[in-house]
Amino acid sequence: MDSIGDECTPLKREYDACFTKWYSEKFLNGERTNDCTEVFKKYQTCLRKVLGERGLTKMIDDARPSIGSVFANDSVDNEQKKSNTSK
Amino acid sequence: MVKFYQQKYSYEYSWNTVSFAFLNRYPNPFATHVLTVDTLDHRLDAQTGELHITRLLRKTNSVPRWARSIMRGNDAYILEEVTIDAQSGKLVSKTRNITHTRLMKVEETQTLLADNSGHTMCKNETSIVSNIGYGLNSRIENFSLSRFTDNLVKSRKGMHYVLDLAQRKGLFGQRMRLDQTGAPLSASSSGTTLVD
Repeated sequence: MDSIGDECTPLKREYDACFTKWYSEKFLNGERTNDCTEVFKKYQTCLRKVLGERGLTKMIDDARPSIGSVFANDSVDNEQKKSNTSK
Repeated sequence: MVKFYQQKYSYEYSWNTVSFAFLNRYPNPFATHVLTVDTLDHRLDAQTGELHITRLLRKTNSVPRWARSIMRGNDAYILEEVTIDAQSGKLVSKTRNITHTRLMKVEETQTLLADNSGHTMCKNETSIVSNIGYGLNSRIENFSLSRFTDNLVKSRKGMHYVLDLAQRKGLFGQRMRLDQTGAPLSASSSGTTLVD
């Protein structure tokens, strides 16, 4: 699958490959490692930029609390919220 | 007005295989409406061992004829949150549309549970809320039931397609293969194809 931003697709593919390998080889065997952090960060940086450019950030952040997301209060989201208009 | 639907289904594959297939279910030939999938967040809880993933899906939006005057046919965005507990063999996925919410809000929860026979039970629960009025609520009601059942058929076909691949060929060329019980086989030195 492609990423929403064409420029992010190669980074997404890299992350997906890492995730798939980690999930089947480590996670399903009970290993609690964090193998894909670096590649995920790179992908995320690109992705957040694209989402911001397309004006989707607020829509996504607003939706997250209602879905019961455990990530609604993480530090990256707080950065986003500071730059958005507060309700 | 809230409509609530539920259905259970059993996949004759191990939970390991089904959860893996679920996370990799796109692309598949029965889901051509799904255009892009992105992971927004990925976190492993060090204490509980649970994996939390948040994803954004972009789909083409098939607007029914009667709704076209009130709704544009833009792309539809769906937020998905998945929680996975590999120890107890449980995956819970919650999805919700975050566009076109004035027309209707559809929330779906899918639960994959390992059962005692080495297979996987799948429960789909969907709630559909529409408060748009304009005398459309009953149309939305009927539409939502037929959409729910159509989508379930498509998603099961998609899952079976991906499960078949995972079973026979080794999904995405991974060297680590999962056998029928979900236990990893030893990594093959050469190729990636699985021959049973």
